[in-house]
Amino acid sequence: MAAARVPLSLYVHWPYCSFLCKFCAFSKARVPSQGVDHERITNALLKELRTCLAPHKDKELRSIYFGGGTPSLSLPRNIERIISEANKLVPLAPGAEVTLESNPTLAEVTKMRDFKLAGVNRYSIGIQTLNDDSLRKMGRLHTGAEGLAAVDRAKALFPGRVTFDMIFGFESQTLRQWQEELKTALDHADRHLSIYQLTVEPGTPLFRDQRAQRVVLPSDDVQARMYEMTVDMCLARGFRHYEVSSYASHPSAESMHNKGYWRGQQWVGIGPSAHSRFTDPTNRQRISSVRIPDTQRWAQQCERAGHGTGKEFVVSDAEAKQEAVVFGLRMLEGISDEGFMGVSGGQSLTGYLCMARVQHYIDEGHLSWHAPTACLAPTERGLQVIDTILLEIIP
Amino acid sequence: MLQMRLACTAWRWHTGTQWIRHCPATGLSSCFRRTYVAYPAEGKRGELDISAIPPERIRNFSIIAHIDHGKSTLADRLLELTGVISKTGKNKQVLDKLKVERERGITVKAQSVSMFYEHKGQRYLMNLIDTPGHVDFSYEVSRSLAACQGTILLVDAAQGIQAQTVANFYLAFGEGLSVIPMLNKVDLPTAEPERAAKQIESAFEIEADRILKISAKTGLGVEQVLPAVIEQTPPPSGSEDKPFKALLFDTWYDTYVGVVCLMAVKDGSIRRGDKIVSSHSGTKYEVMEVGVMHPEQTPTTQLRVGQVGYIVCNMKSIAEAHVGDTFYRDKFPVEALPGFVPAKSMVFAGVFPIDAGEFDRLNESIQKLTLNDSSVSVHKETSAALGQGWRLGFLGTLHMDVFRQRLEEEYDTNILITSPTVPYQIKYRDGTFKFIRTPADFPDANVMNDYVESTMEPFVTSTLIFPEKYLGSMLELCTAHRGELQNHTFIDESRVMLKCRLPMAEIVTDFFDKLKSKSQGFASFDYEEAGYDASDLVKMEVLLNGEAVDALAAVMHKSSVVVAGREIASRLKDVIRRQLFDIIIQTTANGKIVARETVKQLRKNVTAKCYGGDITRKMKLLNKQKEGKKRLKRIGKVDLPHEAFLTIVKRAE
Repeated sequence: MAAARVPLSLYVHWPYCSFLCKFCAFSKARVPSQGVDHERITNALLKELRTCLAPHKDKELRSIYFGGGTPSLSLPRNIERIISEANKLVPLAPGAEVTLESNPTLAEVTKMRDFKLAGVNRYSIGIQTLNDDSLRKMGRLHTGAEGLAAVDRAKALFPGRVTFDMIFGFESQTLRQWQEELKTALDHADRHLSIYQLTVEPGTPLFRDQRAQRVVLPSDDVQARMYEMTVDMCLARGFRHYEVSSYASHPSAESMHNKGYWRGQQWVGIGPSAHSRFTDPTNRQRISSVRIPDTQRWAQQCERAGHGTGKEFVVSDAEAKQEAVVFGLRMLEGISDEGFMGVSGGQSLTGYLCMARVQHYIDEGHLSWHAPTACLAPTERGLQVIDTILLEIIP
Repeated sequence: MLQMRLACTAWRWHTGTQWIRHCPATGLSSCFRRTYVAYPAEGKRGELDISAIPPERIRNFSIIAHIDHGKSTLADRLLELTGVISKTGKNKQVLDKLKVERERGITVKAQSVSMFYEHKGQRYLMNLIDTPGHVDFSYEVSRSLAACQGTILLVDAAQGIQAQTVANFYLAFGEGLSVIPMLNKVDLPTAEPERAAKQIESAFEIEADRILKISAKTGLGVEQVLPAVIEQTPPPSGSEDKPFKALLFDTWYDTYVGVVCLMAVKDGSIRRGDKIVSSHSGTKYEVMEVGVMHPEQTPTTQLRVGQVGYIVCNMKSIAEAHVGDTFYRDKFPVEALPGFVPAKSMVFAGVFPIDAGEFDRLNESIQKLTLNDSSVSVHKETSAALGQGWRLGFLGTLHMDVFRQRLEEEYDTNILITSPTVPYQIKYRDGTFKFIRTPADFPDANVMNDYVESTMEPFVTSTLIFPEKYLGSMLELCTAHRGELQNHTFIDESRVMLKCRLPMAEIVTDFFDKLKSKSQGFASFDYEEAGYDASDLVKMEVLLNGEAVDALAAVMHKSSVVVAGREIASRLKDVIRRQLFDIIIQTTANGKIVARETVKQLRKNVTAKCYGGDITRKMKLLNKQKEGKKRLKRIGKVDLPHEAFLTIVKRAE
């Protein structure tokens, strides 16, 4: 029997949006007035795909994720070309997850079936909020009702494989409003939800508005309360909290692709600004790379050199160990000693972490140690303040 | 312009072409001491014969000026004029290397220098003796002035008289020096020479027509300067026939020869091989070399009465060289010159390594920094909260800031320096006194009741000069700082000079900053010590979750307790970041709680989104936060930021 293939994920970045949300810090641009040159972008993506996936032919693709930007603005036949090209380079594992992010706007909803035919088997919809006022203020061109309609339609096409994003903590939002909104969202949810606290990222219009005090967001304590309420309400409806902002009603509905990031698995990202993390098969070095963020420059380089890589770094052992803990402890399943030793070169978790502090947080009920599986995990209370805890336990 | 300024310049001769002010890297001390090149430029190695110049043709003078009024530029011009340095156009007082110098516009310590000048067919030896300009060093200034017979009072024609000008004038006046007034920068479009002259006339009772008008920058009128000095300054008195007697007025440390002393010979003469004795310590030294600064060390066969020069005498440590000390020839003791006082610390601050493992390295640094500056007093101190450290004493706040910056530059975030305090005194009923260097020295309630007669605090007499329209806010500022107004006078139609007696404790923290902001930068300030007075002092303690933090304790006047107690609690609340539990901050004095604040528990701190592209950003942020955390000092369970230790004593507007 052949040895098990090393899992690999593929991230494909689609750089355009039909509207720009005020809170978004991802790399994106409004669709150009002359329209998107679909052929050029797709060819560049395919070129980059061939260059960057080829060295990984002995691995297997566990997941593909089309993100952006708004990848539902791309053409289904091009999505299909990318999926089948990827499959040719590195075989898709049985049951591989292929997710596409979509806006709930009408034009894209009509393309849903074609995306399914192209090979997409998991659909992620950016609802963000059901409050029309907040949607307008954040620059989104759809209503809450349209959002729910899109979810319902997606559920019919991708039963059990639909997720959508919700955000809490918008300006002037009250606990009661969020409670009502979340209740409606849960009524329509399939088996997975991503629920984020609104984060004000530097460089976004929202950041500038907040700094200029044009926008006042709910206080930290109100936001904390919203988060706690979210965890409780989801659980009451059977949605288990498995990562800071992720909820699933069944383990099989958890995002395989995202868990790959948190478990420190390898992925290759293509498209402008996409990041990658993988082990170079030729020299076993851990590599981190990022593609050129500007779409035009990225495409030009792909055409010229076969890839649009902007920067590439070697990830040191020290960095890899830090990352393993930081991302492992975003999940309620935590990080296992075994998983950690995979990146640490044999050092155990207990040998690496400041165990006096770990013990302190275990005593305080923020962390737990599961002896049989040798697994360190945050408790719900601990997850809520994990950024503070990480600063203490990482040497 | 704010006056907490030190105007002393370290000059050194730089490969024979360029006259540079320099602050060597060896340590803070260099800020107050000069450095020089060990080997003089080619052609200057030989001994200089100055014996042909009799005392009648020697003039020892200094320049006193407010910061930026052009003292260094004038010195440059005089050196060019007398051919001591070549006229390259590059002789600019630049290269203020210390950060504190750049930030505060101060330059640190000037070199004394000997020049030759022909006047009416006679050759004169002109010794320019530079003085530190800042009040922290007023003792050093007074000793430098004691080596002179005359001084140029240099005033910026645009800015007019400033507080430092006044303070320096009175120091010179007190030493009985001839004062030669000059207005500088008269060519500036903003110059108002008539007005400035009037100020000089009214403040110092100097006739306006005696005042020279020059521009040191362009050289305008500079040729009149030395003749004026010769005409108006008496030659040094003293007798060649009397036994050798000299005033030590400056020293610096040289790695090759040890301590170099600058002395003014008051009587007799001295040459290599002579043995001399310090009046203060009684220690005997053998003279290895004598000479003058021309501009670097230039050996001479001897130093004679009236001359000013350097002496190398096998002195190993700067602590042996006391500014103001009198030296005499072995076996020929003389009466010591008046005015000698050993260095006295006026401001204290605690220094602690954030990481206890850094103690030895820091210890070494402090020793190195004090090697050249004996005026910093060093005592070991142990704080329950901060561990082992030092209590350092300084001549004043500027002196402290210079030292602090040197340490911080070297140690970055890894040291913690507590808020400055002043030396309070406790008078016991049995008549004995005790200095309070640190709040931990303050007697507890029982001792207070049973043994203490009174508590005392040091005072200063301050001079403030500012435009009339700020009179209200300046009076308010002084009153708010427990000032006792003595008088105010108009030095011209629109400028006021205010004299005020203030507790020293009130001016060691943010008084200067407030003065500056309330007067939009137009007020200048200077002060001199004015002894101790009885004062109702109490110790304020800070409790974090019920535990007293010794490093946050402070001694203060009883009247400040309520306001300061609330202030301190609320400032601590602002600087202490939320942690995973509530933090209760209490300030107490005399066993009573003055104020209470709570830093609420942090309920949520987790990055919401973290996917592929966010990983790099997240890790960068984490490492930045970890760096920031190193700046925190953990007291019990509570993490305190560096700023927490600086909140004490500071007060809001």
